[in-house]
Parts: sequence; structure tokens; C-alpha cells
Amino acid sequence: MDSNLIWASTAVLEAAVLFRGWKAGLFRKYPFFYTFVSWVLLTEGLRFWIYKYIPSLYQAFFWDTRLVTIAASYAVCVEIFKNGLRHNRGVARVAQKLLLIVFVIAASYAASDFLHGGFRSVARAAADLGSYLSYIEAALLLVMLWLFTRYRIPFGRNLLGLVAGYSLWVGIEVIILVLLFLPGHGASVGLRKLAPLVYLFSMLIWCVSLWQSAPEPTQPPESAVERDYEVLVAKTRASFAHLSALVGRTLRP
Amino acid sequence: MTGLITILLLGILILVLVGRLLVQTATRRHARVVTIEDYSQARAALDSVFVETAAIKRIFAAEDVKFVSESDVPEVQRFFVKERKELAIQWLRMTQKQVAHLFQLHLKLASYTYEPSPKFEFNLTVKYVCFILVSNGLLVLLWFFGPFETVKVVSHTLRVAEHFCSAFSLRLEKVNPAKLRPSH
Repeated sequence: MDSNLIWASTAVLEAAVLFRGWKAGLFRKYPFFYTFVSWVLLTEGLRFWIYKYIPSLYQAFFWDTRLVTIAASYAVCVEIFKNGLRHNRGVARVAQKLLLIVFVIAASYAASDFLHGGFRSVARAAADLGSYLSYIEAALLLVMLWLFTRYRIPFGRNLLGLVAGYSLWVGIEVIILVLLFLPGHGASVGLRKLAPLVYLFSMLIWCVSLWQSAPEPTQPPESAVERDYEVLVAKTRASFAHLSALVGRTLRP
Repeated sequence: MTGLITILLLGILILVLVGRLLVQTATRRHARVVTIEDYSQARAALDSVFVETAAIKRIFAAEDVKFVSESDVPEVQRFFVKERKELAIQWLRMTQKQVAHLFQLHLKLASYTYEPSPKFEFNLTVKYVCFILVSNGLLVLLWFFGPFETVKVVSHTLRVAEHFCSAFSLRLEKVNPAKLRPSH
């Protein structure tokens, strides 16, 4: 597909996501996400303008804004975390600790790798830093997805679309970055063209899933839920102890 | 290179987990909310798998195979072993299914609580993974060697399982029985 066509389609979809978000009243629900999309749309417009009228500035502007865009995409991560675990305060507390640990480990690893890589140019440093920020983001997203699937956190259509689009984008982008580092693939045109296509597809998922405000999954009534973890632990321990006794009694020769 | 493989795995795992999340959501769209009563029912269902303890014990009884082996008709022996094998596999699969259901309910209910303990959750996951590994190993043995040849391995597996489960039993002594009543 032609690069210009991908670029134009992405910009149209971004505008559509923003317009529908405003019409459906989703701005208040997912403010960080819409700020991120607005930022991306704004930078794309500015890049186009600079490319056309001040081409000498384009490269520096591209790398700087790319870095800010990656940093801004953390906002989507925060949005998913905030909304996904809104009704699960206990899991959110565990997740916060776990995410902090993962962030510190990933950031330390990335920082040491970045500093050992040497400083060749501003553009190169910005590109490297962007890659490391993407890796850290992917690590954080992985932990969140693991918690969501492990505790079977229910999602409404809007949030599910947000998570699906974001995960697809971050997951494939990380894979592409790794493949570009492999010997002989650094200049692969196919791989470089794949990233905007994946982003376009993610934008399509966001556009469809956030077209209108969807109802949130039903939360259990307070009276029907056991909030005391100790009670649950006691029951689980009792169940497994009972199970082991039954298995022993049944299979003992 | 190791770093690149780790990051590649990271990307692949993200895609796998998001796929799982989509499947989970699609299959649970009309699922109702889980309560502690569901947990009690799942526990009762697990108990029911063992309700005929004597009959289940009989599947693995060595004296039965000894009795049948005295018969001169090989077809009877074959039929007997085949039947016992099917019964043993069916029983083990049912137990696996019920334990998995109980584990899932625990996770779901834990997500509603305010102070889940990462330590207990981790220990429980390790024990569950051990159970899955041991029971699947047992299934393979049953499939290839039948229930009677597997008995020796079962005894050994039991000793391992008892070692894991003893932790639960020891902790159970410290549990306040008043807390085990059903919630209202």
C-alpha cells in the first residue's frame, strides 16, 4: 500500500476517533487516551507542514516528536490500568507494586544498555531512547494483560477495544524493532512499512470499538460479594486440604 | 542476542495474552457474577467426584486384575483392562476439570477482595501448576500402560502430592472455623 495512503487513512481515522469520542461523551471517560490521539494527529499535521515548507528541520523534528509520542503512549497504559481495575481495588494494589518493580528493572536495564551504546548523534540517541521506552512499555503492558487474564477482569466493549488496539500496536512494534536489529534486516523496507500499517489497523479497532459509549460489565451487588480475602483463603485452603485427603483415601493401595 | 530474544518473546506474549483476553471476554459476555456460594457449589461438585470412594478404589484394585488374569480367554482380559483404563482416565479428567473450576473461582473471587496476598496467590499457583503437571503425567501413564501398571507410579505421585498438600493441612489448623461459615 502506498505510504501516503496509509498516512492519510490514519489521519482520517484519528480524526474520526476524536470526533466520535466527543459525540459519544467518551472524552471524560478516557481523557488520557484522547489526549494521546490528539497529540499524534497534531504532530502528524506539523510534520507534514515542516516536510513541505522547512525540510531541513524535518529529521530533528521527526525524532523529537517521535520520542514524545512514545512517552505519551504511556498515558494509554495508565488509562487501561485505571479503568480496567477500577472495580478491583485489591488487584489494582497488587498490580501497582508489580508494575513498579517491572518498571524499575526494565528502566535500569534499558538505561545501562543506552549508556553503554555510546552517543553518536542526537537523532540516533532519540531513536535508541524511543526503542527502550517501547520495550519498557511492552513489559508493563505484559504484566497488566497477565493480571487481567489471570483474574478474569471483565471488560466492556470500549475498554476491550482500547486494550486490543493498544496491545496489537505495542506488541507488533516491539517485534518489528527486534527484527530490524537482526543482521541484514536493518534496511528492510517491508518491515519499516509494516509499523504504520499495524498502527492503522489499531486505529481502525479503536474507531470501531469507541464509535459509541457501550455499557460497562455488571458488577456484583455488594451483598453478594465476599470482600474479606482471609475468608476466601480459609475456604481455598480447606478445599485443597479436603481434596488431598480424598485423593489419598481413593488411591492409597 | 539474548536481549533481542527476550524482547521478541515479550512481543509475542503480548499478542498471545491479548488473544486470550478477547476469547475470555467473548465466552464470558453473558456469564453472571461469581459469588462465594458458587465457590461452595464447586467444592460440593468436586466432593461428588469422590463420593463413591470404594468404587473408584476398585478401578485400580490389583486383586481384580489378578483374578481376571486367571481366565484363559485373552479377549476378556483385554476388555477388562480397556474398560478400567477408560474409567480411570474419565475419573482423572473429571477431577482435573473440577479443580480447575475451583481454582478459577478462587481467582475471580480474589479479584473482588480488597487485600489479596501476592504470597498466597503465588503459592497457590505453584501448587496448582504442580497438580496439573502430576495429573497430566498420570494421564499419559494411564493412556500408555493402563491403570494397573500405573499403580506403582500413583503411589509415588501420591507421596509427592501429599508433600505439597501437607502445607495446606498445616495451615488449616490455624484457620478460624468461624470464618468458614457461608456468607449472607
